Amino acid sequence: MRRALTFCGVLQMKKGFLFNYLIALVIILTLNFILPRLMPGDPLQAIYGCEAMIVMTPELKAELTRRFSLDMSLDRQFQSYIASLLRGDFGHSYFYNVPVSKVILGCFPWTILLVGLALFISTGLGVLAGVESGYRRGLPPDRFLLGLFMGLSGLPDFFIGILLLLVFGVSLGLVPLAGAVTPYSGQGTAAIVLDVLHHLALPLAALVLSRITAIYLLTRNTMITTLGENFIITARAKGCANHVIRYRHAGRNSLLPVVTAAGLQLSHLITGALFVEIVFSYPGLGTLLYNSLLTRDYPLLQGILLLATLTVLTVNFLVDIIYSKIDPRICYAH
Amino acid sequence: MTVSYNGLPVLNDINLTLKKGESLSIIGESGAGKTTLGLSIMGLVEGSCSGEILFNGINIPGLQEEELRRLRGREMAMVFQNMGDALHPLYTVLDQVVEAISVHSRADGASLYKKALDLLISTGLDEKTANSYPHQISGGQKQRAMIAMAMANNPGVLILDEPTASLDAGTKAEIIAMLKNMAGDRITLMITHDISSAAIFSEKVAVLYGGRLVESGRTEEVFSNPRHPYTRGLIRSYPDLSTTKDLQGIPGRMNHGVTGCPFHPRCTQRIEICCRETPKPENVNGRVIACHRGGIVPVLEIRNLSKSFNTVKAVQNLDLTLYEGETLSLVGESGSGKTTLARTVMGLLNQDKGEIFLEGERVSGKTAKFYQRVQMVFQNPMESISHRMNVLQAVREPLDVNRNEGQDARKELVRRVLDEVELPGDDTFLNKYPHHLSGGEAQRVAIARALVLDPKIIIADEATSALDASVQAKILRLLMSIQEKRGLAIILITHDIALARKVSDRMAVMINGVIIEEGPSARVINNPEHDYTRNLIGYTRNGKI
Repeated sequence: MRRALTFCGVLQMKKGFLFNYLIALVIILTLNFILPRLMPGDPLQAIYGCEAMIVMTPELKAELTRRFSLDMSLDRQFQSYIASLLRGDFGHSYFYNVPVSKVILGCFPWTILLVGLALFISTGLGVLAGVESGYRRGLPPDRFLLGLFMGLSGLPDFFIGILLLLVFGVSLGLVPLAGAVTPYSGQGTAAIVLDVLHHLALPLAALVLSRITAIYLLTRNTMITTLGENFIITARAKGCANHVIRYRHAGRNSLLPVVTAAGLQLSHLITGALFVEIVFSYPGLGTLLYNSLLTRDYPLLQGILLLATLTVLTVNFLVDIIYSKIDPRICYAH
Repeated sequence: MTVSYNGLPVLNDINLTLKKGESLSIIGESGAGKTTLGLSIMGLVEGSCSGEILFNGINIPGLQEEELRRLRGREMAMVFQNMGDALHPLYTVLDQVVEAISVHSRADGASLYKKALDLLISTGLDEKTANSYPHQISGGQKQRAMIAMAMANNPGVLILDEPTASLDAGTKAEIIAMLKNMAGDRITLMITHDISSAAIFSEKVAVLYGGRLVESGRTEEVFSNPRHPYTRGLIRSYPDLSTTKDLQGIPGRMNHGVTGCPFHPRCTQRIEICCRETPKPENVNGRVIACHRGGIVPVLEIRNLSKSFNTVKAVQNLDLTLYEGETLSLVGESGSGKTTLARTVMGLLNQDKGEIFLEGERVSGKTAKFYQRVQMVFQNPMESISHRMNVLQAVREPLDVNRNEGQDARKELVRRVLDEVELPGDDTFLNKYPHHLSGGEAQRVAIARALVLDPKIIIADEATSALDASVQAKILRLLMSIQEKRGLAIILITHDIALARKVSDRMAVMINGVIIEEGPSARVINNPEHDYTRNLIGYTRNGKI
C-alpha cells in the first residue's frame, strides 16, 4: 500500500519529542556524575573502590584528582566530566588496566548481536504466532500455542539457558558450550559467520524463548479485540481473502501495542542477557558487568550502566518514530 | 429464510423477492433483525442460516467460503452503518478503495489509483480528502467513502445499512439523492429506521418486527395507509414536518422468542389466536400483511346512514369507518349534523336508513354488548351526570347495568378507572356530588364513567368545549395516552379544527349532514380539497394568537 502523502510523524512532533529525550539524557548523565560524589568519603575511593586506594601511590592519586578535576568546584567538575564523555573517555578500568571505553567496545558488539537478534526474532515469531492463534481463537491450534507459550513463560531465562546447554551442548554435543567464536579458527568470512552463528544459537534461543510469551499473548489479545471491530466486517464484505484480513487488516492494528511493548521490554532483555551471557560464558556486556562487579571495577561498571541506559533511550526513541509511522493517528494525539 | 445465533432465532420465515432495478427499504426498530438480514445476504452472518437466498440462481448459504469471497464486493456490496470504525483507521481512504478494487481485479497500480480516485470524486470527495485517514474526515465524508468502496466493482446488489444514520439533514438529503442516482438497474436494499429516507429512496418497503416480516408493499401505499398496527405505530412515532398529531409511541418493548405473533404483547387489537399461532404473511393486491386480524381492524363502520327530523335532513347517506386505535375527528359548524350522527350511532336516536357495523357485526337495537364496546362522553358534564348520584354511583352505574361482579369488585374497578383519569379514589371524593366538582373534574368523572366498561370506542361529543384550555389539554392528553395504551378508537366531534388537527389521525369535515372531505389530518389541513374546509382553516388561522 502506498504511504500517506503527508509524512507527519517525525516532522510534526520532532521538537517536543526530542526535547523529552534530551531531558531524560541530562538526568541520566547528572545521576551518573553525582552518585559517586554523594557517597561517604573520598570521591576517588567511591569511584575506584577501597582495594584500589590501598595500592594507590600518592602520585597516581594526584594524577587522578587532576584528571577528574576533583580539586575544582562542582560545576567545573561536571563540565570536565561531560567533556571527557564527549571525547569517549569513560575513565580507566583498574582491573583491565585499559580505558573503559576500549573494554566496553570489545564486548558491546556481541551484546548488540545477541540482544538485537533476540528482540527481532522473538517479536517476529511472537506476532506471527499471536496473529494465527488469535484468528483461530478456541480452536485446537490456538489452544496448543497458548498452552505451549504459557508453559514456557514459567521458566526463567537462565534456567532455559542451562536446560538448552545440557541438552544440546552437553548431551547431544551439537553446539559449543561457551564463547562467541572459536579462537584462532578464522579463515574466510563464511566460516567465521557460521562459527559465530553456531556459538550464538543457544544463548539466542534462550533469550527468545524467555521473551516470546509476552509478545505472543499481547498480539493474540489485541487480535481478538480487533477482529470484533467493524472495519473487519467491511474488509470481509469487500471480499478480502482470509490471510489479507488476518495480516493487513487485523494484524497491522494488533502490531501497535506490540511495538510499544518491544521498546519497553528492551531493558528487561538487557538484564535477561546478563544471566544468559553468564550461563553461556558469552563475551558480551552481561559477562563484563558480572566480572566488573566481582572485581569492583567501578569505572567499568559505571560505563556499562551508562551505555545500557543510553541504548534503552535510543531504542525508545526509534520505537516512537516507528510508531508514528505505523499509526497515523498518533500525530494528533497529544 | 431463518437465521439464528446459538439456537436463538433472530430472523424467521423471511420471504423476499427483488428483481433487477428494484429498491427495497427494510424498516423497523433496532433489534428487529434488519442488519442480520443484510449480513445474511452477504454471507457474513455468524449464526446459522437455513433456507435459501438465491442470487441469480445461486444459493448463498450453500456456497463455500472462497466462492462467497469472490461474490462479495464484486456482485454484491454492502455499505455499513457509519459507526466511526467501519473504515480501517490505519489506511487512507484512497488505499481502502483501491483495495476494494484490487481484491477482484488484476489491474496495475496506477490505473487502480486513478479508478479509485474517480470513484471517490464521484461521491463528492476531493483528492485531499481521498488521501486522508478516516480520523481526519467528517462523518458524512466517511459515509461517502464507504459508498465509493461499495461501488468499486459496480455490484449488482447494493445493501445499505443505515446509510444516513447520525448525519445532519442536508448531508442526509445529498447522500440519499446520490444513492438514488447510483441505484440504476441494480438491486438496492436499504436498511433503516429512518422512515423519511426510506420514503424517498425506495419503491418498496418491508417492515420487520421481532425477526419477522409484518408488512410489505409499495412505499407510498404503506406509509400513507399502514395496515399493520406495528407499521402504524412506527409512523406515528416518526415526526416529519407535516405531522399534525402529537407523537405517540408503541406501548411495551420488543421481546424475542415470543410465541405466536411477535407483536402480540404490544398489540392493542390482539385476540386469543395471536398469542398461540404465528400469522402467515398474506398477499392482498401486492400488500403483504402478517396479521391474524388482517391488519388494523375497522371497529365501527357506518354505511349509508340517514336521519331526518321532519323536513330537516340532519344526516344524509353517510358512510364512515373508524379503525382500531385511531382518532377520527368529525369537524363542522353547529347544525351540521355531527351530534345527530353520534346519537344515532349510540342508538339514542333511531336511524331512518342505513346500517352500523361494530367489529364486523351488524348492530341491531340497543344491546348490553354494544354499550360494553361503545361509550359516549357528552358536552356538558354537569348535565350528563345525574345530580342525585355521587361520583361512586355515577361511575359505577354502567357496571351495575352490565356486569354481575360483587359490590366490592365494582368499587375497586371504579377506583382503578378514577386513578387512570387522574382523579383521587378516596371515599371523600367518591361521596362527592356533581355540584361539588369543578368542570374539569366533572368531565373526568364522565370519562371515567365511559371507560369503566373498558370500551373499544369512545365518542366524545364536544367533550372539552365547555372547559378552559389548560383543562382541555389535560383531558385530551389523557384520552391520547389511554388510546396508546389500550388501542382505544375515538370519534372526536368538534367545531375546533385546530384542536382536531392536534389530536386526530383522520379528519372528516361535515356540512349539512354530509361529509364533504375526509382524509389523514395532515393532508386535510395542509392540502384541503373543499372550499368549506379551506374557509374553516382560514378562519382559524385569522384567530392566530
